[in-house]
Amino acid sequence: MTSYRLANRGRVDHRKPVRFTFDGKRYQGLAGDTLASALLANGVHLMGRSFKYHRPRGVVSAGSDEPNALMGTSRGLGRFEPNTRATIQELRDGLEATSQNRWPSLAFDVGSINDRMGSLFSAGFYYKTFMWPRAFWDRVYEPVIRNAAGLGISPTEPDADRYASRFAHTDVLVIGAGPAGLAAALAASRSGASVMLVDETAEPGGSLLSEPSVTIEGKLAWDWLSATLAELAALPNVTIMTRTTAIGYYHQNLVGLAQRLTDHLATPPADAPRERMWKVRAGQVVLAQGALEKPLAFDGNDRPGVMLAGAAQTYLHRYGVKVGDRPAIVTTHDSAWFAAFDLAEAGAKPAVIVDIRASVDPVLTVRARSVGIEVLLGHSVTGTSGRLRVKSLRVSRLEKGGAGTARKIACDSVLMCGGWTPSLHLFSHTKGSLTWDIELKAFLPGKKTEAVHIAGAGRGLWGIAAVLDDGANAGTEAARAAGRNVTAQSYAVTVDRTGSGVTVKELPTDRDPAAAKAFIDFQNDVTAKDIRLAVREGMRSIEHVKRYTTNGMATDQGKMSNINGLMIAADALGKQPPQVGLTTFRPPYTPTTFGTFAGYHQDATFEATRKTPIDPWAQAHGAAFEPVALWRRAWYFPKAGEDMHAAVARECRAARSSVGIFDASTLGKIEVVGPDAVTFMERMYTNPWAKLGVGRCRYGLLLGEDGFIRDDGVIGRLAQDRFHVTTTTGGAARVLNMMEDYLQTEWPDLKVWLTSTTEQWAVIALQGPNARKLIEPFVEGLDISEAAFPHMSAATCTVAGFRARLFRVSFTGELGFEINVPARHGRALWEKLWQAGQSYGITPYGTETMHVLRAEKGYIIVGQDTDGTLTPDDAGLNWAIGKAKPDFVGKRSLSRPDMVARGRKQLVGLLTDDPKVVLQEGAQIVADPNEPKPMTMLGHVTSSYWSEALGRSIAMAVVADGRARDGETLHIPMPDRTITARVVKSTVFYDPEGTRLSA
Amino acid sequence: MTVMTASFAAATITELPPSARFSLRTTDPIAASASLGLELPTKVGARAAAGARTALCLGPDEWLIEAPEAETPALIATFSNLEARLPLSAVEVSDREITLALSGPAVLDLLATGCPRDLAKLAVGSGCRTLFDTVQVVLTREAEDRFHLTVWRSFAPHLRALLDIAARELAAGL
Amino acid sequence: MLLIRCPYCEQDLPELEFAYAGEAHIARPQDPSQLTDEEWRDFLFIRSNPRGVHFERWRHVNGCARFFNAARETVSDRFLCTYKAGEARRDISALTGGAE
Repeated sequence: MTSYRLANRGRVDHRKPVRFTFDGKRYQGLAGDTLASALLANGVHLMGRSFKYHRPRGVVSAGSDEPNALMGTSRGLGRFEPNTRATIQELRDGLEATSQNRWPSLAFDVGSINDRMGSLFSAGFYYKTFMWPRAFWDRVYEPVIRNAAGLGISPTEPDADRYASRFAHTDVLVIGAGPAGLAAALAASRSGASVMLVDETAEPGGSLLSEPSVTIEGKLAWDWLSATLAELAALPNVTIMTRTTAIGYYHQNLVGLAQRLTDHLATPPADAPRERMWKVRAGQVVLAQGALEKPLAFDGNDRPGVMLAGAAQTYLHRYGVKVGDRPAIVTTHDSAWFAAFDLAEAGAKPAVIVDIRASVDPVLTVRARSVGIEVLLGHSVTGTSGRLRVKSLRVSRLEKGGAGTARKIACDSVLMCGGWTPSLHLFSHTKGSLTWDIELKAFLPGKKTEAVHIAGAGRGLWGIAAVLDDGANAGTEAARAAGRNVTAQSYAVTVDRTGSGVTVKELPTDRDPAAAKAFIDFQNDVTAKDIRLAVREGMRSIEHVKRYTTNGMATDQGKMSNINGLMIAADALGKQPPQVGLTTFRPPYTPTTFGTFAGYHQDATFEATRKTPIDPWAQAHGAAFEPVALWRRAWYFPKAGEDMHAAVARECRAARSSVGIFDASTLGKIEVVGPDAVTFMERMYTNPWAKLGVGRCRYGLLLGEDGFIRDDGVIGRLAQDRFHVTTTTGGAARVLNMMEDYLQTEWPDLKVWLTSTTEQWAVIALQGPNARKLIEPFVEGLDISEAAFPHMSAATCTVAGFRARLFRVSFTGELGFEINVPARHGRALWEKLWQAGQSYGITPYGTETMHVLRAEKGYIIVGQDTDGTLTPDDAGLNWAIGKAKPDFVGKRSLSRPDMVARGRKQLVGLLTDDPKVVLQEGAQIVADPNEPKPMTMLGHVTSSYWSEALGRSIAMAVVADGRARDGETLHIPMPDRTITARVVKSTVFYDPEGTRLSA
Repeated sequence: MTVMTASFAAATITELPPSARFSLRTTDPIAASASLGLELPTKVGARAAAGARTALCLGPDEWLIEAPEAETPALIATFSNLEARLPLSAVEVSDREITLALSGPAVLDLLATGCPRDLAKLAVGSGCRTLFDTVQVVLTREAEDRFHLTVWRSFAPHLRALLDIAARELAAGL
Repeated sequence: MLLIRCPYCEQDLPELEFAYAGEAHIARPQDPSQLTDEEWRDFLFIRSNPRGVHFERWRHVNGCARFFNAARETVSDRFLCTYKAGEARRDISALTGGAE
């Protein structure tokens, strides 16, 4: 195979060969190559197939704007990435790349039939083609479209890589390390400001890497670059990050950076993340992103071998690769002429320079002819030929109203340049306004909304000298804005190849324009005629044209296509481009992996899993767990051979017949302390607190100001001015926030403070007739007899030698205690009780048994039996309201008309006619199962269990006018049958007299 | 220039033994200071110390009082005496939280993996309540290269896992 | 992610430390029982939701834990000022007069 590598050229290491494969074939490149430059060095231009028409495609660019050379890359299982841009992926030993969107092979692809049937796939074809018959949509069209759609193959294995994230803070962030960015970073850093300089490519330098002959301050470009980087390296206040793309620019100078850490390494170090997301808060931002080269729109502008002239120049100088032996140049800008001259000097034989402009600087034409390049001014390109690689160019002289007789020119590559467009994406993220520059025919940054400075080609400047000075100015301004002092530097530059150009719509042709495939958006296969069609079919706004044609909607976000598309749409509409407008650029600037966004949130660190001090014991004893808010809680403790039902039934029997032990540590706990504690409690909770004695507990009900139930829990009064408040597990943070809100903003005069003690205490519940017998020997300093320490008592004492708060409370209906000990002692206490309890057959139980036992007693769970629309009356909790209290949070709402209206859903019991049938929680309830659909739904089942104590199923439900339906039979329609159940107005199914509480 | 590929000395993460910790709330810090033997600072983030006893101001009326564990009974007595005299709340939180000591030349980078604040600006001897990852923490800067991170007990394993990953990442040098 | 100035900490701090807490300057009536159903409804549910300057409450929940007030431009999503809970509503014209 012919090598297109040029010895002694480029910044690649000619002594370091790198092996890789493309579609299974082995190739060799050099260290410093990208995948694209290595393939080009091997003479490979055909790198992919297009999205819609499956047309053969080659690489167009040398950067992140690449729309065509998208490949699958892999380094083993779980490390496959589709749509890797070959122009960004650095070559590494062993890299495996595969082409996409083709079958069976890249050179021969069945799907390319779409290209012949192009007329079927014009703009808006989705909207037109698949309309009829309607029934075909679900079964035929959608599956076929889904199968054909998408670029590349999404991997199905979990991502085996790790990702990282980092916050950073800097005085000045410079985005883009080309000449403008380097000059800005130098100026700012010399002031002493902290500076971050980032560049999306592997090496700083930007356009200097493609312009080695320029001299700056008497040094050749690359020498100046080395010296500059050395100076920056010596400064402690400068951080340079390469392979780092600024993907999004957010409020107050927060910039998201995606840093690629290992994709370029043959063997990544262990523990190194693949990519890192930086969230940088910068005092000042300098945008030095440069400009993007525009393609020209002509028939066949997408054949492999047709690429941007600037890209060819980059491949030549940066990678030492000649993109062809006989390139043809098509341009509207002087810059492509220099690419032709550089290639000629490197040994290529450029066939022709076709410039649309009627006249150019004579220096260019003289130089072209002196090196034997034919020059055609005032000419248009009207076609190309070649199936898998361009072979010739069809050229016509521009004449009034079109193009003249055509002529064919043989070539092996076409270098096009339609001018340059400032990269405005990040600036647009800030909602900065854009202004249309008539001279440049380009949008430039206008009004700023952030502390941002735009430098260089990014604001339409051209030439190294202009860009360096502008960068130095921007860096100086940024440093001054950051409160530093520095004077701007001016740079002496020679061999600066400045130039100018024009922006055009699609090139005129002598043939039927409707037959031309002049691509605007290469990635989405949108042609010039698609855009004109969209305008003909009524699209007036550029936003509509974009969506109708999909122009600019591919992953490259229209980096190459937006301005070309706009020029054509504006022409078709007979308007000026700014009147038609530009579509909105949104983050991310380039495609970014999900992993980079996820950062550390994967696998075990996906989110915090809170565990109690007793959790390890539960784990060791085979508990099944369930998540409750962020906690993981023991759900049930199956013995060998037991399923959940059997385990729960056994746990329930144990708690009702002897003693069960339960980890209640997750209960929210808030200590309310201060002279006004009781006043605060009176105002927050529905219940009365003033007369609650020290050492006594009370069930507390908390409403929102809207009168609906928010939370509940047992509250103990430990001292005159000290309450131990418990909340639901999931409500702990919410309740504390709500209390703080009232305290800080409504009643700031109250001398009372709230402290979360949820995690200070481990809480062990002992429940069952033998609970007292078990705990009694451990308690010191407290008489816990029925008489001295009855139900709803609270005290401070010592339990098993640990300082403890002991509560005589029950969420099961049995005699029960909840022992609070400092968290670090929770497990030790549990073990002691476990040991001592063996003689009582002590049984650990989990949240499921806790739910069953409380449901048997009709105790509600806020959030399960209530849903944010239940009042105390709806829930049957009017007894918990302090009737004599003048006010409490939510009281006024309880008398609003809707809250006292008939027909409200009320919490009732439901007993199925068949006692063995356990209803499904959430199931809807109707009065008449024969009513035509949609049936009138009366309510739904909120809690439903098998009650081991009652030997039948029990359920709670919210039902419209539920209590008035006592004894009524209602129906619960299920997919396979309708279940009948009887309403019972009391939800207390077990021990309604409560005798077991005081055994 | 900080070269991101340079090898960092790995940051060290150590769980500290329990200490006596109290959440003190009052609108009258001056009156409370005398009994505590240190002047409660009134600027949020400031910390005062007397011997091994410290008071970190976390909010306009909130201090985290920390002392060696042996001082627990003495502090309980002091606070119950204060509560009888002043409008004040003192709640023991010794077991609520775990403290991790983070140290090493890369400690700021370690913290920057999860904390959105600019901690380079946190002066030695001061602290703040902030976030690490999604979890509320209290950070104090004990030395240029040493921080204490205090977190509620149940969140500690999650933070520890994250910090360990980050420390290995820093050691890997990328 | 915005930077929010906490009037208690007197620092500009990352939004992650803060939680939004609804419209500001809606005081709970001293004696709700004296309000008509309509007045109580308005207190509970009716909010201004302006396009422009919005007075709202935030809480420095992962910081000093204080609730405070802020004026924020809802179109540009910029804070005009923050101030302590209980302080009087800031004058809008003084806040927007100089800017833009």
